[in-house]
Amino acid sequence: MSDKLIHVQNVSHSFGNTTVLENVNLTISRGEFIAIVGPSGCGKTTLLNLISGYENPSSGSISRNGKLRMVYQQDGLLPWLTVIENVGLGIRHLRDAEEKNRQLKDAIELIGLEGFEQHYPHQLSGGMRQRVELARALTGESDILLMDEPFSALDYLTRIKMRNELVRLLKERPRTVILVTHDIEEAAQLADRIIPLTTRPATILTEKRIELEKPRSLTDPIVTEAVHDLLISLSPGSLPATEKTGIKAEEN
Amino acid sequence: MLYKYLLKWLFGAIAFLLILALLRFQPWQHLNSSLWGETSQTRIESLDVGFLPVTCHLTCPVTDYASRTSIDFRFDSQRYTDFPTMVESIRSGRLEATFMIVPLAMKLREQGVPVRIVYLGHRDGSTVMVRPDLNINNLQDLRGKRFAIPSKYSNQYLVIRRLMSEQGVNPEEINFVELPPPDMPGALSARAIDAYFVGEPFAARAELSGTGKILYHAKDIWPNFISCALVVHENLINRRPEVVADLVRGIAESGEWAENNREEAARIAAPYFRQDEAVVRHVLTRPPDRVSFQMLTPTDEELQRIHDIALESGILDKPVSMQALVDRSFIPEVIRPRTFNN
Amino acid sequence: MHQTGINRFQRRVLPLAVLLFVIISWYIISLFVPSNSVFPSPVDVFFGFLEEAGSGRLANDLIASLFRVTAGFFLAVFLGIPLGLWMGVQPFARAALLPTINFFRNLSPLAWIPFAILWFGIGDAPAVFLIFMAAFFPIVLATIAAVGNIPAVYFRVGSDYGMNRWEILKNITFPAIAPQVITSLRVTAGLSWLVVVAAEMIAGNDGLGFAIWDARNGLRMDLLVSGMIVIGLIGVILDRVLVQLTEIPSIRWGYER
Repeated sequence: MSDKLIHVQNVSHSFGNTTVLENVNLTISRGEFIAIVGPSGCGKTTLLNLISGYENPSSGSISRNGKLRMVYQQDGLLPWLTVIENVGLGIRHLRDAEEKNRQLKDAIELIGLEGFEQHYPHQLSGGMRQRVELARALTGESDILLMDEPFSALDYLTRIKMRNELVRLLKERPRTVILVTHDIEEAAQLADRIIPLTTRPATILTEKRIELEKPRSLTDPIVTEAVHDLLISLSPGSLPATEKTGIKAEEN
Repeated sequence: MLYKYLLKWLFGAIAFLLILALLRFQPWQHLNSSLWGETSQTRIESLDVGFLPVTCHLTCPVTDYASRTSIDFRFDSQRYTDFPTMVESIRSGRLEATFMIVPLAMKLREQGVPVRIVYLGHRDGSTVMVRPDLNINNLQDLRGKRFAIPSKYSNQYLVIRRLMSEQGVNPEEINFVELPPPDMPGALSARAIDAYFVGEPFAARAELSGTGKILYHAKDIWPNFISCALVVHENLINRRPEVVADLVRGIAESGEWAENNREEAARIAAPYFRQDEAVVRHVLTRPPDRVSFQMLTPTDEELQRIHDIALESGILDKPVSMQALVDRSFIPEVIRPRTFNN
Repeated sequence: MHQTGINRFQRRVLPLAVLLFVIISWYIISLFVPSNSVFPSPVDVFFGFLEEAGSGRLANDLIASLFRVTAGFFLAVFLGIPLGLWMGVQPFARAALLPTINFFRNLSPLAWIPFAILWFGIGDAPAVFLIFMAAFFPIVLATIAAVGNIPAVYFRVGSDYGMNRWEILKNITFPAIAPQVITSLRVTAGLSWLVVVAAEMIAGNDGLGFAIWDARNGLRMDLLVSGMIVIGLIGVILDRVLVQLTEIPSIRWGYER
């Protein structure tokens, strides 16, 4: 098997008369962390749904090698299951009870939620819930993690904390990651390769590589420069801007 | 987890239902009797007989009470709270014998339900009550007043119509309202109505509490007035004529006995009515001829008179033949008072 | 102190104080009404209650009513929830049946009384039928609505983790609708209790509804009021029991948002 886990070829997609994606080509190798950024409604989530196989493209082809796991924006945890039951979804077919318990214990330790195993999602904070989501996605066999705006429902400080948490988890459990986000900072801090989508019909114009060890500091010049570049390519004329991310880029 | 809890609830709920079903149907009673060697052959047959909890229908529970000690056949008195439900039960074939007001039996016959009047339940037994604070001495004094009757189909309405024509009062001069009998005493004491005409004990209640004054007893207006009859479905007559004969004899003997043992009759019947025994006793004894349980054979002329008024007042749309309606063949020639072997 | 609301002692005592106040006012009012056949005093009602309990009629009526309401309600639950689930997940079934179900739901169950008597006679069967008619349609509609309210992401999670159709029904759809369905069960149980009383008034020869109707016909206001009190108390107890369903840990989430 090749190291090309995902291969998106000439993919276009439309809903009715609205073309959302036009001629998208993308290849993702094992171990890569890809971020797809763009304004909301530009088709990022559609692209992710196509990659996951949840939807089929109107034209073009997509090939996947390896097992996928999805991390949702919020409330992807099943509220009627406890933390441990949610985490166990990925290994629920495992026969060996001892092995199962060991893996569950590892997962809880990994996210530092010991003592919360029997809690229900509604009894946890937003950050804890998202950690459980990550633990669930990382438990059991999988190669590719698809993340759809995983931290966008969290407050700013928690979001920053969760980025570091994600980096730490991926060091423990390496996965190929495709992250969809509208948060350019997040992309710059986490991704090896950032793919900005244009407004509808979305297509890939450029891509930006960031070669910097993780965890990366939010204020690292390479990161801030990447934010700056991305802002310009996504929304020319937005600098100097009043937008949140724009101001931060200026401050640095 | 969820299913474990739901299963627990399911079992709890089923257990609850089972316990209720056991308490309701008490199957150990049947078990008991079969343990004692009684087989289905010796099981006592029974017939449901419908009645309303009014004093007029007193002979029905008395007959039920008397047949409790019978070894081969029982008459189970089935208490109804209104005539419409009774009529629906007859139409559906679940009730084949009942006490019923005569115009309603005629109406059923007119509609093609094959019922027959085989006997009467009582004579008289209704009373016109008026407000004591108004000086009312006859129907002329009731002109422009509000007068409550149980229903346009009630025989009380027919009787009062007849009396009005005798006293020269036009139908539209009295303001008739339909009211459920139990609400009449309260409505009179609250002065919502000025007079009412109803079967006992709903008149006696107002009399006893002093909120109503007796204007007429039914016997004063229409001596030997027929209110309710024993009505039997033709299916039962064709299938089990001997049961109908038994029932008629039972009612006749119960009536004969109740006529002369009024205090005792009140005591027996009160639990069937869920009423104050004192009220029932009052109706039966003050005066004793307020309601009568003798001379219960209806004549064609009497029924014809009711029929004609019913036709005239629009209760019946077309005439009903008395030959088809009445069947006197079950009435015993000699009526002895019922004896109780308890 | 003011902001923290009420303490446990107050929680216990306040309702009792209101109850006592109501009974005392009732007693005082009854002193001014001359005839207890029109307005019975609490003392009359208490002795009426003793009379009913002592004669065994109360136990018989209570069992009759509870049996009917339980049987009719169970029938409605065990047929209604599966039908609602099916209609919830099958757009075809929903399109075909929903208008009919909506129509029947808007009919008062009491309108069926003449037919109940015609088809089932007098006694347990017509009352069970009427309770079924009262509870079944609301339960079906609530279940359909609950299925419609399930966030799509739960189904995606289910298929992400390789559940087949049956597993999704068992592990996603059913647990997801449980809180909403339980709420509707509480409402319809209360409705059933109202209907059983009304149904027995007309198509019964025992039961609590019959008892108060019969007491009215027998001009026994004291028995009527004692029957009303028993009916109210049982209704409260039924709801207290069903509220325990919402305390199931894997259902609690539905009431915490």
